[in-house]
Amino acid sequence: MPSASDTTTVTSAATGDTTRRRGSMLLKAVALAVLAAGVLSFPSVAANPFILSVGVVIMSYAVLATSWNFVGGFTGYISLGHAAYSGLGGYATGLLVIHTGINPWLAMVLAGLVVAALAVPIGIASLRVRGASFVIVSIALVLILLLVFQSWGSFTGGSNGLRVPRPFGPEVLRPEQHERFFYLHALLLGVALLVWWLIDRSRFGTGLKAIREDEDKAQALGVPTFTYKLIAFVVSAFFTALGGGLYALWFGFLDPIFQFSILVGSYMVLMSLLGGIRSLFGPFLGAVIVGYAVEYFKNQYGDSQFHLVAMGLLLGLVVLFMPDGIIPAATNLVERFRPQKTSIREVSAADLAEQRRTAGPEAGQADQQARTDDGTDIPSTDTPTDTSVTEGARR
Amino acid sequence: MTATSETAGPSTAAPSTPSLATVELRKSFGGVHAVDGATVTFHHGKVNALIGPNGSGKTTFFNCVTGMIKPDSGSVSYRGADITGKAPHRIARAGVGRSFQLCRIFPRMTVMENMLVAVRSTSLRRQLSSARNPEELDRARGLLARVGIEHLEHSLARDISYGQQKLLELAGVLMADPDTIMLDEPAGGVNPALIDRIANLVRSLNAEGKTFIVVEHNMDLVMSLSDHVVVFDRGRPICEGTPSVVQNDPRVLEAYLGI
Repeated sequence: MPSASDTTTVTSAATGDTTRRRGSMLLKAVALAVLAAGVLSFPSVAANPFILSVGVVIMSYAVLATSWNFVGGFTGYISLGHAAYSGLGGYATGLLVIHTGINPWLAMVLAGLVVAALAVPIGIASLRVRGASFVIVSIALVLILLLVFQSWGSFTGGSNGLRVPRPFGPEVLRPEQHERFFYLHALLLGVALLVWWLIDRSRFGTGLKAIREDEDKAQALGVPTFTYKLIAFVVSAFFTALGGGLYALWFGFLDPIFQFSILVGSYMVLMSLLGGIRSLFGPFLGAVIVGYAVEYFKNQYGDSQFHLVAMGLLLGLVVLFMPDGIIPAATNLVERFRPQKTSIREVSAADLAEQRRTAGPEAGQADQQARTDDGTDIPSTDTPTDTSVTEGARR
Repeated sequence: MTATSETAGPSTAAPSTPSLATVELRKSFGGVHAVDGATVTFHHGKVNALIGPNGSGKTTFFNCVTGMIKPDSGSVSYRGADITGKAPHRIARAGVGRSFQLCRIFPRMTVMENMLVAVRSTSLRRQLSSARNPEELDRARGLLARVGIEHLEHSLARDISYGQQKLLELAGVLMADPDTIMLDEPAGGVNPALIDRIANLVRSLNAEGKTFIVVEHNMDLVMSLSDHVVVFDRGRPICEGTPSVVQNDPRVLEAYLGI
């Protein structure tokens, strides 16, 4: 039975909750500002153009991994063939610029839209199958595109590759180019992250996450699962294509063997898994680590295949020790030092005695009430008021 | 099935409107006729029970009715409208909610997130708006309180006990505000105290006008809870009526005991 003192505790607990939430929001805002400042100041602290170019490569990977995560992270459909969309985005951008001479940035956006349109029938066909079958289907597409782009020399440049005109004039020197493209990639990454965040907090996002957890169950609750998956897939393809297009404009040369490679698609998956596919910044973090490692190994061991061995090892370690990725693992570690929550309502002996005393003769009746109204597995003394009190006390 | 009219007890004396109804529903897996020409009518506003020995096709029947499996032939209607072969989410939004055998929840989402999955409207604006709108959160908290697990709101669904997961599944189904709720073994694997609580919930929800269709093996629960019982054997109903009528039917004893 609620008493005056109960009410005060409850109110203070509620205020405490709001303060805590505000505190955590402030913390997040500060962390975000620090992260943004860190990323944006990179070109000015990069020691030389080579380091800066590595930065651009890493940002490109971050864009691709974050784009991959629209479908991988939300719906749990693991596509190993996302290189298809980055490759198509790159080629479409290059070919549009070469053949129509339109503004390269416009070409990049148009390429993104074309790839998104192509992703609709591809998605309708491939999203019918789940799990391992979906992975195989996604790989098949990359291999088909590789063959097409290698063989169709007259249009795509074939195995000789395709030279993409640079968007900036000859007066813009190479380091300056790198710097501009670093910021452009950062901008695209920012947009992709923003859209991911918006979806994450929406009802649509809740539906997608439910699909990842249990697709049939989600559908039984009214979620139009196929439409949801398809939308996520198309959004993912769109951003991946933009990432591919931006890379093409920066690098200036496309070779089918690198554009349509299973390896690029696998990197997107590895980066996302490493950072954490259920976290907004997971793929970004993974891209920084994997991107850096790849460049380091290539630099140290040249053209050997050693970087592939190292990546395979890394993937093995992630799956073994951090199946949810770095960000959830780190969050769990922090949570461990916080007061433990239990799934059982706690009522101290003193509280119990107090309740019995206040309740007095009505106790028996109250017990029955509790059983029929919201009785729980444990003794009937816990009415909702008590919960707030004990939870308040534990905070 | 003509048993209905003959065996109408006092509780079904009032003219009852059909809720879900099937005609000659069939579904085979290879040579196994899981549902074999089932013609069943469940009554609106009642607690209907579907019982039968293991392997008698109850769950397949459930899955055909809710669109999870496409029936080979026959038809399903809900409150007069044909819903045969419609997608599960359409049937759900038409007002038929269901739980699953062995309890299915979204393990790596919090209890509250589990509650927010149910879709009642697919308007673009609504889908793109924040999932955590105050009105929806209040409704979810109300339902969690009703099943008695409101204190677990922030816990991951996989971390709560099996009984609590069962309650969460029921509350999640209620979030979609269905008229008809199909429960597949609500008492399976839970302790007696919790069975009582689930039974009370079903009763109070029924009193508010919800129709129930319950597949259950716990005979005490079935007999105490339901207004109308349909007995399945080998993919089709063999008998139906009030609990007392069904209990004394020789065909039911035969099906269960194999005499």
